[in-house]
Amino acid sequence: MSDAPALSETSASRPSRRRRAAPRLALLAGTGTALLALALLGPEVFDRFTINVLTRSMIYAMLAITVDLLWGFAGVLTFGQAAFFGVGAYATAMILTHVGSSPALLALALVAAVLIPAAMGWLVGWMSFYHGSTAFYATVISLLVPIVVTQLIYAGGATTGSSSGLVGYWGMDLSLDGYFRLAGVCLAAMTVAALVFVKSDAGRVLTAIRDNELRCAYLGLSPQRIKIRLTAALGAAAGFAGWLYANASGVVAPEISSFVFGTELVVWTALGGRATVLGPVLGALGIDWLSASLSGEMPFLWQLVIGALFVAMIIVLPNGLAALVTRGFGRRGGDPAMGAAPPLVEAPPAAEPGAAPLSDLSAPLLAVRDLSKSYGAHKVLQGIDLEIRPGELVSLVGPNGAGKTTLMRCLTDGDARSGGEAEIAGRSIDGLTPDRIVALGVGRKFQVASVFESLTVAECLRMARVSIDRPSPWASAETLALPAAAIEILRLTGLDRMLGAPVSLLSHGQKQSLELAMVVCLEPRLILLDEPTAGLTKTERATIGAVLRKLTAELGCAAILVEHDLDFVRDISSRIVVLHQGRLVLDGTVEAVVNSDTVREIYSGGGHA
Amino acid sequence: MTLALDMITTAAILFIVASGLLAIFGVLKIINFAHGAWLTVGGYCAVVCAQAGITPWLSLPLAFVVGAALGGLTERFIVRPLYDRPLDAILATWGLGIVVGQLITLGFGRDVQFTESLLPGAVSFAGVDYSLYRLFTLAAALVIGGGFALLLDGTRLGLSARAVIMNEHLARALGLDTAKVRAATFMLGAGLAGLAGALLSPLTSVDPTMGVGWLVGAFMLVMAAGSSFAGLAVACLLFGSAQVIVSTFVSPILGGITVAVLSALVLRIRPKGFSNV
Repeated sequence: MSDAPALSETSASRPSRRRRAAPRLALLAGTGTALLALALLGPEVFDRFTINVLTRSMIYAMLAITVDLLWGFAGVLTFGQAAFFGVGAYATAMILTHVGSSPALLALALVAAVLIPAAMGWLVGWMSFYHGSTAFYATVISLLVPIVVTQLIYAGGATTGSSSGLVGYWGMDLSLDGYFRLAGVCLAAMTVAALVFVKSDAGRVLTAIRDNELRCAYLGLSPQRIKIRLTAALGAAAGFAGWLYANASGVVAPEISSFVFGTELVVWTALGGRATVLGPVLGALGIDWLSASLSGEMPFLWQLVIGALFVAMIIVLPNGLAALVTRGFGRRGGDPAMGAAPPLVEAPPAAEPGAAPLSDLSAPLLAVRDLSKSYGAHKVLQGIDLEIRPGELVSLVGPNGAGKTTLMRCLTDGDARSGGEAEIAGRSIDGLTPDRIVALGVGRKFQVASVFESLTVAECLRMARVSIDRPSPWASAETLALPAAAIEILRLTGLDRMLGAPVSLLSHGQKQSLELAMVVCLEPRLILLDEPTAGLTKTERATIGAVLRKLTAELGCAAILVEHDLDFVRDISSRIVVLHQGRLVLDGTVEAVVNSDTVREIYSGGGHA
Repeated sequence: MTLALDMITTAAILFIVASGLLAIFGVLKIINFAHGAWLTVGGYCAVVCAQAGITPWLSLPLAFVVGAALGGLTERFIVRPLYDRPLDAILATWGLGIVVGQLITLGFGRDVQFTESLLPGAVSFAGVDYSLYRLFTLAAALVIGGGFALLLDGTRLGLSARAVIMNEHLARALGLDTAKVRAATFMLGAGLAGLAGALLSPLTSVDPTMGVGWLVGAFMLVMAAGSSFAGLAVACLLFGSAQVIVSTFVSPILGGITVAVLSALVLRIRPKGFSNV
């Protein structure tokens, strides 16, 4: 790395943060102002009926935002937001009915309406998201929650008012116009907050999880934990909307927590345009208001039209009406496809707790004893013993089906292997999920490039740093701070000039390089690479070889490389391990292995080891 | 004794309702949220038969045929574009359910309708008098379950369906027309939903939303069953019995959610559910 990157901005502090780009600010300010104007001026313009309906619609629009954050951004299809809303509303109405009404009790109701749904959300999240859970399962649970809540309300007798609900309690002392303004201001605040969040570095994590949960886990993030927190936070937001609703409407009925209402929220979000925040807000406002206005004249026909429109939209235009609007403006609020990207700077080395053993070359970084893996009676791996020390570059070779990729998986997922021991830096990986193993200093590059298709190159790289540099929930960092080794990969492969490009436009080779750079961004002590050069040109291959040698020989990392290209292996390895039919048949220096008869036999297709 | 009979017949009814959904989920890996709507359509087939004065027995094949025909249309125009987006398929079929529900409302009104029982009266069984029709549902469930076992093990479609379930890519590579298998399965599943609706109509009442109430329970049972009919039978027996017990001794309202809650808990503890019983 002779021409070291111009690192004028290198500093020990975290990268400074500032909001990027003027157009986004303008969009935010415009949205906020428009909603506030609606809230404050509405009562001057509209008649009583419209005021009444729109107050409700604006509260529903807040719920649509929460659905959009979960479904549109994080990819979790949920019907459960109605339940949190209902619980918030019922908590409020029950306190005001059974305890009494006073400013203090209203405040208590507010606390209850936020905290109870938040706790519920946490529980629901815990049920829905665990290592190995499926998207279907989370949707199943989200269906179940409103049904359970509704049945509990029906079973509640006088406490909950059963099927007739609660009515006749005293909420806040506000006029019709006052509630309209309050709901409008809350909606404006929530919309702006959601818009700011989803464009922030922390907000992009949600999109990354939707795109590629596995990659997130192997970047040291816990998608499960993040989704649980998100569910709890949005449960609280829905509970707040429920508090507002209980006050404004003066009546709560079981329908508001039902799963049918939950599906309605999803319909509004889908029609408005998922993953846009504004679309669902407009969808909820428009459809709920139109429903109220039209349902008197043609109640069933109107539902029919909405239903048909919804089906057509899901099939033909999955991103909703908002996608039609924004398509003309290019991606994400005016950024052109090859958008501006933050300048690269070198990050200070992370203060690693395990930095000391790195110099101690005698302690193995990876120690595997008698590892085995079987599917039923079929043994894929057996009796694997392997030790790898810092600075080694070990190539793992063997014919197809020898168990190479399976071995990689057993080393990065504590539950994957069927028997034996595996330790990383002296710590057993027993029962550890991939993100915890990454935290021990392991980076894994997959055979098929695993990146985030709907992010830009810079955003992907930033995602790889999220476990080290905590992302801001309201801003996008001004610079992209990466370790020197990652910057070098980007420069050698030319990706440093494409930081603003969407990943979906990259070539196969570029995606491979990007993934390698992302793995290096984790500053791992042990790198596992599954055929990093497959499908690359000779030049690209040489580049990656040079990077790997530098990482191991100069920076003291260890690397395990699964590779078919024996010339490449011979050039860069410090040791070669041969795997054949699930057993480790050879482990030695490059010379010893390349010249051995066993290898020749295996590759010429004859032998049994 | 009545309790035991209640348990078994409840399980039978659940099995009848869920089997069509399971057939579709097993082969297509798609949750058909229009299942409730086909159920309702089947119920209205029974109503139409009753109004026209035709023997109610005819409503069973009629409901199956109508359901299968509608299912064929749904598969072609709504589900086929969404095989790669299973979550969107849930939504699209749910939207279709809304449309069907509203069409029925436009045609028949919102009122609750009743149909007369195919087999009125009670029989004396092991010392107690028990509804003959509920016993008949048990027989129907056995016939449907046996029919599936025969279909899967004894026919070409069953063999193809099993191939698609195990490895769809391989099945296609071997020259199976997987699109046809999917369409046939979807029609079968929708037809069974219609049949279930007609069978249910004497036990409950018929109204435009009758399917929705059954949908969620059936859906949860199918998730708990994995892709196996034996699993579904086990899940129906266990959770159906639990539902009867909770309804009898605790509260009928809570009994209504027993099946769904237990299924979710079983899935949380054993993500594969009962698929390998």
